[in-house]
Amino acid sequence: MISLGRKKSVLAAVAVTSFALVASAVPANAVDGVSATEIKLGITVPQTGPAATGYNKVAPAMKAYFDYINASGGVYGRKITLVIKDDGYKTQSAIDATNDLLLQDKVFALVGQLGTANHIAVASKVQLAKRGVPSLFLNTGFSEFADKSKYPTSFMHFPSYATEAKVLSTYIKDNFAGKKACLLAQADDFGDDAARGFATAGITFGETVRYVSGSQSSAAAAGWVQKFAGAKCEVVVTFSVTTATTVLLGAAAALKFAPQWILGSVGADPTTIRIASGNPQAAALLNNAISASWLPDAADTSDRFVKFFREVNAKYNNNVDFDANVMVGMNAGMLTVQALRAAGSNPTRQSLINAIETKGRTFVSAAFAPYGVSDSTHAGYTGFWIGKFNASGALSPVDTGRTIYVTDSAAGPVNKVAPKRAKLPAKGIPTNS
Amino acid sequence: MKTNNLQKRILAVSAIFVLSTTALIAAPSVATAAPVCSEKINVNLTPYQLYRECVGVTSDGAQYVVQLPLEQAFNGTLFLYTHGYRYPVDIPTLDYKVGKTPEPAPGRTVAEITEVATGILSKGHAVAGSGFTRKGWNADDALKTNVELIEMLRKEFPEIKKVIAWGSSLGAYITQGLSERNTKLISAAGLLCPAAGSVEAELKMAGDALWGIKAFLDPTIQGGNYKSVLQVYSDMGKIAAALTTVGANIAANAAFPAWPATSAAPAALKAAVPSRSAVVMIAAMSGVPTQSKSFDGSTGAGDALTSFQFASGISPALGALENLGEAATLGVLATYDLERDSGGPVFDNTATDYAAQLGDTKREYASALSGSDATNAMLAYLAAFPRMKGDATAIAKMRTLLSHEGNFKVPTITMAATADYVTPAGNQQWLIDAAAAKKGKNLLALWQRTPKSYTTFNAAGPVRLASAVYNGTGHCNTTVDQHLAIVDLLAASSSGKSVDTKTVRKVIRAAGGITYDPTFTAPLLKFYQK
Repeated sequence: MISLGRKKSVLAAVAVTSFALVASAVPANAVDGVSATEIKLGITVPQTGPAATGYNKVAPAMKAYFDYINASGGVYGRKITLVIKDDGYKTQSAIDATNDLLLQDKVFALVGQLGTANHIAVASKVQLAKRGVPSLFLNTGFSEFADKSKYPTSFMHFPSYATEAKVLSTYIKDNFAGKKACLLAQADDFGDDAARGFATAGITFGETVRYVSGSQSSAAAAGWVQKFAGAKCEVVVTFSVTTATTVLLGAAAALKFAPQWILGSVGADPTTIRIASGNPQAAALLNNAISASWLPDAADTSDRFVKFFREVNAKYNNNVDFDANVMVGMNAGMLTVQALRAAGSNPTRQSLINAIETKGRTFVSAAFAPYGVSDSTHAGYTGFWIGKFNASGALSPVDTGRTIYVTDSAAGPVNKVAPKRAKLPAKGIPTNS
Repeated sequence: MKTNNLQKRILAVSAIFVLSTTALIAAPSVATAAPVCSEKINVNLTPYQLYRECVGVTSDGAQYVVQLPLEQAFNGTLFLYTHGYRYPVDIPTLDYKVGKTPEPAPGRTVAEITEVATGILSKGHAVAGSGFTRKGWNADDALKTNVELIEMLRKEFPEIKKVIAWGSSLGAYITQGLSERNTKLISAAGLLCPAAGSVEAELKMAGDALWGIKAFLDPTIQGGNYKSVLQVYSDMGKIAAALTTVGANIAANAAFPAWPATSAAPAALKAAVPSRSAVVMIAAMSGVPTQSKSFDGSTGAGDALTSFQFASGISPALGALENLGEAATLGVLATYDLERDSGGPVFDNTATDYAAQLGDTKREYASALSGSDATNAMLAYLAAFPRMKGDATAIAKMRTLLSHEGNFKVPTITMAATADYVTPAGNQQWLIDAAAAKKGKNLLALWQRTPKSYTTFNAAGPVRLASAVYNGTGHCNTTVDQHLAIVDLLAASSSGKSVDTKTVRKVIRAAGGITYDPTFTAPLLKFYQK
């Protein structure tokens, strides 16, 4: 009986080992998120929660630009759909939302993901590289995202924090030599990346205050100010999020501590400061503060890109208060359209990645500094111009020529060059291939 | 942080131990190889269903049970189930006694086991399972038991034409071993909440976690090298006390909970880093999930800032605490068990670089770890803390235990939960990667994902749940419907025809809570991460 049973089981085993367990009903050449009429993209951003202030404008602005492109025929006849998910700026939510984008919404690529910790978590837990999912134009300046070997499918949008620190270091050396400089930095990759840049540039701070993300408050800021004042800091540099910058400047004003502020670009958005403080006049706190920017100032209506994006904002984005966050969203949208065009009329995820690596440097955008991507690095923009805020929160170049400080995230030199930007395409519609 | 608000909203988290075993069908009292059969009636079905239940023992003394539909209703397919890890020693404090009761089907409760078995019988299949003589990490012994049991059942019941093996957790490990080494005996394999790869990979997570608890919370915890079961009991008590204290301290001051008095960490570290961050460090460096049955890591309560602070900074600590508390008993006992079996300590972290092992996880948990300065301070302390030294001979012996090659010679369906704290999703990913590396096409991987938001709050704060009610959380937290969906897919896959994606999706949609996407990927266990 045993032998009979075993004989039958042998036959059964032979019968089942010669086929795939799951026969896919999906055609072999199908690409998630791409149909004859549509390209579906996805983004997770904080639409709610404390980080939503300002950041919640990025995705709608990008969508507005896509809607504008769609109204003009889309990309090779396909309309771009942007699926927006709220992650509340929380890593677990970003992981969940990204999985939903890939598993349920079947997006072709991610675009404009926001936040260093969130994207690290998504890259790791969702395994973007292993799955070959492109993550385009990250809205974070953590320099490691440029590392193609570690993040082969991710591409930066922002210049790195290290790049910004090196640029600011140069400005400090040129203009505040001999002054006691101090630093407020967030105690995570945001602040650490900047610290590496300052160290590379040879800047030593007389006092450094580091705060844990989420711990910023008016009471905490009073303590920071007391430390800076006690150390007799003459120049205070910040690499902080806007809510931390807001409480710092507020506490400093209250305590009549008035150093030369040099504010990292992430934490110096005037409209966010107004909203975060609940004070429409709070942008005045920025008066005379120095900051760096890679895009034109949102208030500079003489800039052709600003003028164009404002028009798109008026028609496709409910004419929301136009600021740096809207600019960032639309700029990422413009890059994305060029990337999709460069990927060809039958794009795959790999052809999209290849297109950015080989042609990304030629993409037109509002940024003044060159886009740094290549087949060896996935870096974002490579430089900044330096400006000074006025009492209404507008940032104007400190020099008439708007010098661009160009450098990398590593030990490369900081070069000062004249701004050079490609011409805005006719009607703001890219025609590259 | 808004300490006062958070204090109000957080309940004490007691690190209790939960025993995930279940009592089953009344054990047969027979002590013979010949099964003793009786006809039974299943009153849970309409119309009532008659079936045969036979009990017996294999040559190693393991009790088994087999239930078969009556002749005309039986389709010839037997589902042989292998249960998961059962503690190898009595645990008086948990009122646990080592048993040998056979388990013919999976389930979270006795009632569910009966329901799953009934459901399988109603589909015309038979069910069977062993109680196994040896408890603890019994993979090699259980594999032999199962081989004998299959051959015995085929002999005794020639109407059995096909055997489908399936198992949960360690039972899945055994089932995969059976599939790789005794392919001809089975037509398909089902791996539920699987352990996979090697026992060393499983042990590493437990060893790292126990050592982390020892380092941060109580250096008198042995964490291994046990000479007696009394030392095991002692460790269980100390771990429970340490984790319970951290939970209570979080309840008292969520922003900066104190460290247990038993901690030997330097005063400077304890002054700079809240104890909740040490708990997150233990989980993150060892690979224990921070999503638990009660805490999702994404839901908060209160105003926007308080809610965000809870979700990002506190919830991962509470989730880690809950998971560590519930997994610690298993970790201690598995260590004791493997040491006893191998002749000495088998966990060795003398060469482990915990900073490297933590990797980018420190960035993901930047808030919960209280920033990079706190993280670096904890890593520096760990780097200097005395390590566990394994015995080379014992380790070598352990490495001879049943391990997997990652071959799938029969259609195999595996299903894992993304927040399983005993057999994390990385086990299943190892299986998937192995199949991919060998271009195997016989593996269907399914996932149980957690809901996006499930932490619940009452007026006093977050509520700690008594059991894992949310999909994707807990250990082997699989519903009756999900189990029966796996049965249907296994039955279909063993038929000799491919199962198309439409069928897979239809079956799992009906069951709910199961995700099928060949591109879904989870991080591997730390043992496999390079």
